[in-house]
Amino acid sequence: MISAGIDCGAKNTKTVIMKDGNIIGKSSVPTGFDQEKAVDDSLENALKAAGVSRKDVKKIFGTGSGKNSVKMADDTVNDIKAMAKGAFYFYPKARTVADVGAEEGRAAKMDEKGNPVDFAINEKCAAGAGAFIEAMARALETSLEEMGPLALKSDKTIPMNAQCAIFAESEVVGLIHAKTEKQDISKSIHDSMASRIVSMIRRIGVNEDVVMLGGVGRNPGFVKAMQRELNLNTIYIPDDPEFGSCVGAAVLANE
Amino acid sequence: MAVEKFKEWYENRHAYQRDWKKRTGGKIVGFFCTYEPEEIFYAFDVLPVRILGSHETQDVTEPHLFAMFCPFCRDVLAQGLKGKYDYLDGISIGQSCIHLRQAYTSWEIHKNPGWSHYIPMPNHVQSPRAVPFLRGEYELLIKKLETLTGKKITDSDLNRGIDIMNKTRRAMKDIYEFRKQDNPPITGLECMYMTCSQFFTDAREWLPVAEEVKEELKTRKLDREPGKRLLLVGSENDDLDFIRMVETLGERESVGATVVIEEHCTTTRYFWDEVEEGTGDPLKAIADRYVSRTPCPCKDWPRRSRLQRILKFAKDFKADGAIVIQQKFCDPHETDIPFIRRFLEENGIPTYFLEFDVTTAVGPFAIRVEAFLETLDTEDDLF
Amino acid sequence: MAKYPSEPLKCWPKAKELRNKFYQNFAEAKDKGGLRWMGSAWSPDAVVRGLGEDVHCITGEPYGASCAFDKPLSAKFLAAAENYGFARDLCAYMRNYWGSILCNEYALGGGKFPKADFAWSQHICCSHAKWYQNACELEGGVPLYCVDVGAGAYPPFEPEMYPHRVKYVADQMLDGIDWLQKVTGRKYNDELFFEAVWNDMRSTNKWAEICMLNRNIPAPLDEKSIYSLYVFGVLEQSNKEFADFYDELYDEVKDRADRGIAAVPNESKRVMSDTQPPWGFLKIYRYMEQWGAVSIGSLYTFGLAGTWLYDEKNHDLRPRPLPAKKPATREEACTMLADWHLSKPEYQHFYHPEYKTKMMDAIAKNWHVDGVILHYNRGCEGLTVGIAENRLGLLKRGNKVMTYEGNMGDEREFDESATINRLSIFLESLGLEKPKR
Repeated sequence: MISAGIDCGAKNTKTVIMKDGNIIGKSSVPTGFDQEKAVDDSLENALKAAGVSRKDVKKIFGTGSGKNSVKMADDTVNDIKAMAKGAFYFYPKARTVADVGAEEGRAAKMDEKGNPVDFAINEKCAAGAGAFIEAMARALETSLEEMGPLALKSDKTIPMNAQCAIFAESEVVGLIHAKTEKQDISKSIHDSMASRIVSMIRRIGVNEDVVMLGGVGRNPGFVKAMQRELNLNTIYIPDDPEFGSCVGAAVLANE
Repeated sequence: MAVEKFKEWYENRHAYQRDWKKRTGGKIVGFFCTYEPEEIFYAFDVLPVRILGSHETQDVTEPHLFAMFCPFCRDVLAQGLKGKYDYLDGISIGQSCIHLRQAYTSWEIHKNPGWSHYIPMPNHVQSPRAVPFLRGEYELLIKKLETLTGKKITDSDLNRGIDIMNKTRRAMKDIYEFRKQDNPPITGLECMYMTCSQFFTDAREWLPVAEEVKEELKTRKLDREPGKRLLLVGSENDDLDFIRMVETLGERESVGATVVIEEHCTTTRYFWDEVEEGTGDPLKAIADRYVSRTPCPCKDWPRRSRLQRILKFAKDFKADGAIVIQQKFCDPHETDIPFIRRFLEENGIPTYFLEFDVTTAVGPFAIRVEAFLETLDTEDDLF
Repeated sequence: MAKYPSEPLKCWPKAKELRNKFYQNFAEAKDKGGLRWMGSAWSPDAVVRGLGEDVHCITGEPYGASCAFDKPLSAKFLAAAENYGFARDLCAYMRNYWGSILCNEYALGGGKFPKADFAWSQHICCSHAKWYQNACELEGGVPLYCVDVGAGAYPPFEPEMYPHRVKYVADQMLDGIDWLQKVTGRKYNDELFFEAVWNDMRSTNKWAEICMLNRNIPAPLDEKSIYSLYVFGVLEQSNKEFADFYDELYDEVKDRADRGIAAVPNESKRVMSDTQPPWGFLKIYRYMEQWGAVSIGSLYTFGLAGTWLYDEKNHDLRPRPLPAKKPATREEACTMLADWHLSKPEYQHFYHPEYKTKMMDAIAKNWHVDGVILHYNRGCEGLTVGIAENRLGLLKRGNKVMTYEGNMGDEREFDESATINRLSIFLESLGLEKPKR
């Protein structure tokens, strides 16, 4: 059976096409202003990549902050459930998952079937989400892609109070004025954000195998900071972590 | 210089306390709020030490404290959860604000040292019923301390405890006198080290150093411009980075400042008031002292008695302006601050408000304080 | 799908009438030569009743909650408080209250905010006495008296109720009587006082008995209705009409329980809550009902207007029995009232979260609760003190727990869609199915 999961996120809309439990096509497009168009485009591209047509797809589940824009969906899935199922798909042993996207960080504890039993969401503050690193990259006049590798070069620890993204930005400006090395500032930014996310994970309890999903999982500086904060050598991250939730939605559509 | 000893103690509190235990074989009880009758602990030869935060970011308190409680109680709890105080023999709190109480109860649940005691310190301190009630509570505390130490105490032990604490209070007040000078021979930063180091050390070892400092200050001249004279008032504050920034502004900018007096529970609210000696009922005298001391705002009702005390401080120490400080989410101070600011302004003391967190954003705060100091300049020009 | 029969409560109109009369009495007190006072819902109002039968009060918490129902008005009040310099994170009821004074506008029926002749309150959380201290100042100097009840936990959480603790509270009440006479110039009537003390104990005991009936499956009352009914206990516990009303209500709820009448006909899972809800968003309860979940109450609703004792041996929460006889002297009445108030379940967690966890777990077990929903209420420090430890303690005792952040009286801090999202996941984890689209 062929199913699809569409995750209409704050920044990007992602689609995964699955056949009998295997991913056969995926696509990500910027969400932009017109969410419904992004959903259509993303599905269209994914179908093309999978080499199947719209009518071959038996079931479509929507998820993400814009899940109600997934008009063609047979049903919608809660973000937390989609995330947990996604993590479980890639790493069935995992019992803790963290998903850090552009505008929100969240974490869940799962049972042996991949269903969430407890969860936490870091809402209403950009200091715990990808948009924060993006804004800080602008302040450091560097690209988002460069931020992580830059942080890896530093071995300094500069505390930053990232309770609030706006306030943290003025701290960064202070560090720039004090002629602090760019790499050290970058590490400080990643450390503070990781500390915030880890704080949130601790609320639900940390299990041995931690999976990370969401676009920020691509950032090596952040992943390293998370490992440090959690005292773990490995954090499991699938190849395209930003597709985690739509994989979860596709899995549920398939069930 | 003897004054540097305070800083050394402040920075090495754990090393000092561990060493004290080794040297004396005595017991140490950590306390959370300054409504703790240290006299009674000294009477038992138990060392009371106040637990303050470390001003470092941390991620261990999240499961225990919901986000809207103050950063100070969070920082304090982190010290326990991270095992920094594993050498304590007990913990205790004299009830005051409900924020800090949570640091105590979470510590009690997850890091219980085997002895803990909660003192329901009365809130209605302006009622004549508070002293007899508190005296009753102290009797319960004494019974509990007997279980910790296996000792019994007499009135003369209590008098000894009173003597120790009163002497430290007098020493601090004597040193504060020097701050009234036009160019104070001691900075606000040094004073904060002094008062806080007393929390962390045996008062009997702290006192001789304080006496030495008193002597030194008679001839000490600081090679700095005092600048504007500031009063700090508000929540718990041992934010030394902030005070250091304020007092070194003058080195970098056209305006500078010296903190000449504070009304914080790390300074004057803690030590200003003494226990009356020779009353014949030392326990009642101690209760009297804690009931009538400069109150935390959550006990300052129905009359807001702090106003006059703060104004007197401002006048006696000739403050040019006041920085009103609040730990983020500190409800007791939040309910007083609008009235304190209005009252000080009405009495010719300009105020500026700052909200504190675990760490200080020194850069942005420097800009604000500098701007505030400049407004003080303009007002001078008017007269 | 209806599993159980359901019918509306018969006493609804009477409840409405009593409530309206109460607010009207306060607004019109001065026209009839009476007196008006303000204070906290937990203030020992019985003491004031000795001043006469024409003395009427407004309690701040229900008033603040009423403001929250009118979102634009509440926004105006909150802004006024903030403009005065009050921090945004302070108690939301308090800010609505101060805002009403600052705007000179009365949320209950409009017009100017009725100025009180005096304030009479209690103090246990950091804000209680400060609320009225500031209100008195904002009203231009109203006299204030507060009774501190922060005198330690009640047994079994403490080995005994030490006499000096009860005496502290009782003596403050005695002093309070002198104070009341002084500020009002009225002569105190002890007979009225004794009667009021008895009615205080009667009403809070009966409220607990009513809540006991909710152990029944299906629950005869849902928490939304409980909110409308417990309000009498927070408006004026010592009011005879309210105590009588609770007797009537008890009979009706008992009858519902006996006949198997459900508050929510499709009850299939039972949840309990904690702390004040976000008042402007009670629809979250309706949302849960669509899933077949009924909220049977909480330590908050049971304990705010009810007096209970925790039974350590049987791990149960039971209504505190009435004393053997009515008080006969002023001292006796003060002591009785002090002791009764000190045992309030909602006072115990101020000393240790573990006490509250025990009582909550006892409710979860004895009221057959499937899941616990904790409101991390940014609007009230007092009732959220230790709530994160309650969560840990309840999880440790095998309960399913979810939390959501919000604010009882400041809608800016409540995220409706995120909360609905959380609820859905939680209800699903209890084994319920999402209502069909």
